[in-house]
Amino acid sequence: MTLFERVFNGNDAVYGLTEQAIDAAIAQHGEEKAVSFPNTAYCLPCYYAVTGVKVTNLKELKEALGVVKTLMTREPRLNDAFMSGVATALCAEFIEALKYIDGAAPYEEPLYGHLADAVIRELGVPLVTGDIPGVAVILGSAPTVEEGVALVKSYQAQGILVTLVGGICDQVAEAGMATGANVRVIPLGKDVTAVIHVVSVALRAALIFGNVTPGDAKTLMEYTMQRVPAFVNAFAPLDDVIVACGAGAIALGFPVITNETENIARVPKSLIVQEDVSKFNATSLEARDIKIKITNIDIPVAFASAFEGEIIRRG
Amino acid sequence: MSEFKMTTIEEMEAATNRLLETGAKVGADAWQFRVKNQTPHCKFGEQGVCCRICAMGPCRITPKAPRGICGCDAHGIVGRNFLKFTAAGAATHSDHGREICHTLYCTAEDGNYKVKDPDKLLRLAKEWGVETEGKDIYDLAHEMAEIGLMEYGKPFGYQKFLDRMPEGQKEKLIENEIAPRAIDREVSTSLHMAHMGCSSLPEALVKQSLRAGMADGWGGSMMGTEFSDVLFGTPKPIDTEANLGVMVAENVNIVVHGHDPSLSEMICEYADSPEMIAYAKEMGAKGITVSGVCCTSNEVAMRRGVPMAGNFLQQENVVLTGACEAIVVDVQCIFPALGPLSKCFHTKFVTTSPIAQMPDSEFIRFNAETAGENAKAIVKMAIENFKNRKPELVHIPDMKAKATVGYSVEAIVKTLDGVTNSQVDETGTTKPLLECITSGVIRGAVAMVGCNNPKIRPDYAHIELMKKLIANDIIVIASGCSAQAAAKAGLMDKSAKEICGAGLKRVCELADIPPVLHMGSCVDISRMMILAAELAKDSGLQINQLPVVGCAPEWMSEKAVSIGNYVVGTGIDTFLGVDPYVSGSSEMCELLTEGTRKWTGAAYTVETDIEKLTDLMIERIEEKRTALGI
Repeated sequence: MTLFERVFNGNDAVYGLTEQAIDAAIAQHGEEKAVSFPNTAYCLPCYYAVTGVKVTNLKELKEALGVVKTLMTREPRLNDAFMSGVATALCAEFIEALKYIDGAAPYEEPLYGHLADAVIRELGVPLVTGDIPGVAVILGSAPTVEEGVALVKSYQAQGILVTLVGGICDQVAEAGMATGANVRVIPLGKDVTAVIHVVSVALRAALIFGNVTPGDAKTLMEYTMQRVPAFVNAFAPLDDVIVACGAGAIALGFPVITNETENIARVPKSLIVQEDVSKFNATSLEARDIKIKITNIDIPVAFASAFEGEIIRRG
Repeated sequence: MSEFKMTTIEEMEAATNRLLETGAKVGADAWQFRVKNQTPHCKFGEQGVCCRICAMGPCRITPKAPRGICGCDAHGIVGRNFLKFTAAGAATHSDHGREICHTLYCTAEDGNYKVKDPDKLLRLAKEWGVETEGKDIYDLAHEMAEIGLMEYGKPFGYQKFLDRMPEGQKEKLIENEIAPRAIDREVSTSLHMAHMGCSSLPEALVKQSLRAGMADGWGGSMMGTEFSDVLFGTPKPIDTEANLGVMVAENVNIVVHGHDPSLSEMICEYADSPEMIAYAKEMGAKGITVSGVCCTSNEVAMRRGVPMAGNFLQQENVVLTGACEAIVVDVQCIFPALGPLSKCFHTKFVTTSPIAQMPDSEFIRFNAETAGENAKAIVKMAIENFKNRKPELVHIPDMKAKATVGYSVEAIVKTLDGVTNSQVDETGTTKPLLECITSGVIRGAVAMVGCNNPKIRPDYAHIELMKKLIANDIIVIASGCSAQAAAKAGLMDKSAKEICGAGLKRVCELADIPPVLHMGSCVDISRMMILAAELAKDSGLQINQLPVVGCAPEWMSEKAVSIGNYVVGTGIDTFLGVDPYVSGSSEMCELLTEGTRKWTGAAYTVETDIEKLTDLMIERIEEKRTALGI
């Protein structure tokens, strides 16, 4: 199967789930039921950033799904794969939004789920100044806990903001690693759709700091490509849904580095197969053109700006 | 980011019409008028069924007279005409390549010509198994030149460059009697076969046409390109400009036109010298501008960034600006009309090659031994001619576009190295391009080549085809007058990525390239063959499996037919926008559009509807992809 066909399949699958979820929610709550994420001024931030339309209730969400469907063209061209990737991301946002209906709290510590505007404003300045040189999105389960934790720590030591989705959340917890926005390691959630919460960070950054007009999708994607130094590390096995999400990431300018070797097509600077997980860090930084000057201070503990917010507990 | 704007065909035509007004004032003739005098064309000639190879004829085939006097039928006549057409094209390129070999033989440490790319010479020597250790580079150059010259007339064996093909392809060509032996031999054999009472079997004539073409592409042209790089430097990406607006009214304008860079390089060298610039100022000009027309323009643009004034059907326009002090030509595609036309202006029409002598020109015999003095004399003559300009006739259309050119195979590989990841990829290969193609980001590649032809609205086919191809994520490599059409329109401006599909746009951004890559002059189509061979070798496929096609939408010359034959011979489907005078024979049509497939894996598609031509190319590319499962 070609790469584009995998993207289209993944997109179709997620679209189907989203449609069911919305219909079920309408059946349960009625069309007028409010839909929103907590602590944001941007409604469903990704959909708002891409289309300029604010979704407030289930009726509007259903309409929005119709708009998303128009992005799902099926010509064998990269534009179609990109737009299907974006459509997949928007569907993921809808699915995640439904989890928050009625003020529900679907995520429990240490998982974050949706990130509040305040967190983005706080991280935004160091992101612009380069104090946070990059944003890593780690997806899936590392081959071993040790490899996963080593990878997360390698980014953390470079001051890179690390977001985790899927099995890697459990892997860092199992290793007893301290996580949280204060130490720049943010476990988002275990469902693949939780990846939208970091996409939401990038898109809100474009609206907040880049002054991009909501709905100006072209400028939005140029901004994220040029200004948001994010990249994705996706662990094997990759299913079609993850491949479709990856297309969305690449559309925004974020390269995907994976150790998957089966049924995957390589794309220079965009979709890179690195079989050796211990080289994910170097491969990713080079792919995203992130250059970090490190002065190694020979001390017995880790040292990085990521640890500035660390809380030392008694005992 | 500034908004990208192309120069439209309508704007170019308006500029031409304005120049023709100047022409009318001085009573100048132009191709636009001569075309009218020549149409409608003779149907027998158009269909290829007129034969005049012996004095029993001329014969022509009609339903009432299905055979010539010797008994040859339409298929034999069309086939022989096609073969002779090809042989002439192959001879032309090959003689150009031979001249370059001679120039290489004349190189010396302190001579007119030097070895500018010794590394490339060493690479070629290694490829040919020539000992380089401890050898003076000029001794090596002379040795290589001699070996190169032997390729033209060696009694045994096949062309050396065939070893560059992917495994098994050379053997297949030998088996099918398409592998070229000595270059001149294939031309001679073609003429022999086309003699009265020799071959009249279409299959044999088509095979020899392919072999004569291959002697050009993998022989003469390739030799010309490779040794030109050794002599004048291997092209690297360089910024330049294109269209008539590159001529500068305040400067002495010297236009180089023709094909062989031995002349144009030397002219550029002297026009750049402080001595000549000072002399120009003394004569009242602000400086000297050298610009080019046709393939010699491509050569100096690729290597020096010398601006391109125009392509084939713009050659008269250069003179019509009234601001051209000298148009200096060597060989091939030079309108004899330039002689009388230049007499209407102050322009000096300077012919330099004994191979292309024309009435109404000043002939300055140019040769490698005296190249320096010759070039200096020509530049001086142009400067001294500045004062003869008639200011009331001067009009240079304010029209030019930016272009980044210089994409030799070496430069393309280097560009591709730029998008590799040092943690996972090897460098020095075409693999990044293959990955883009395999993943579908780029659907394929089209090699756009060829001339202008008044039968097609000039440049329209080149530009419209390219626009549609790049919008469909198909990367375009271009050479010759096709490349110049692209440059004039703005398709070689890096900003042209804005009109590409998302895939090609992303590739242009990441690799920092324009969507249409200028690979050089017509002999440089051999670069495209090398690139195709490299892609095949790096992917483990045969050339005919690659989603790559060739296209000559506005072709005109015999050289173009020779090129078409070696592109098909190499295994690349070729699309033509003008019929090659074969419609008079169903058997020849069948052979060329399907029959060659069994020998080379490729064939011609002829489609004079330009819109359909692009769709057919895209279809073929998608078919090739489907066959590969990508």
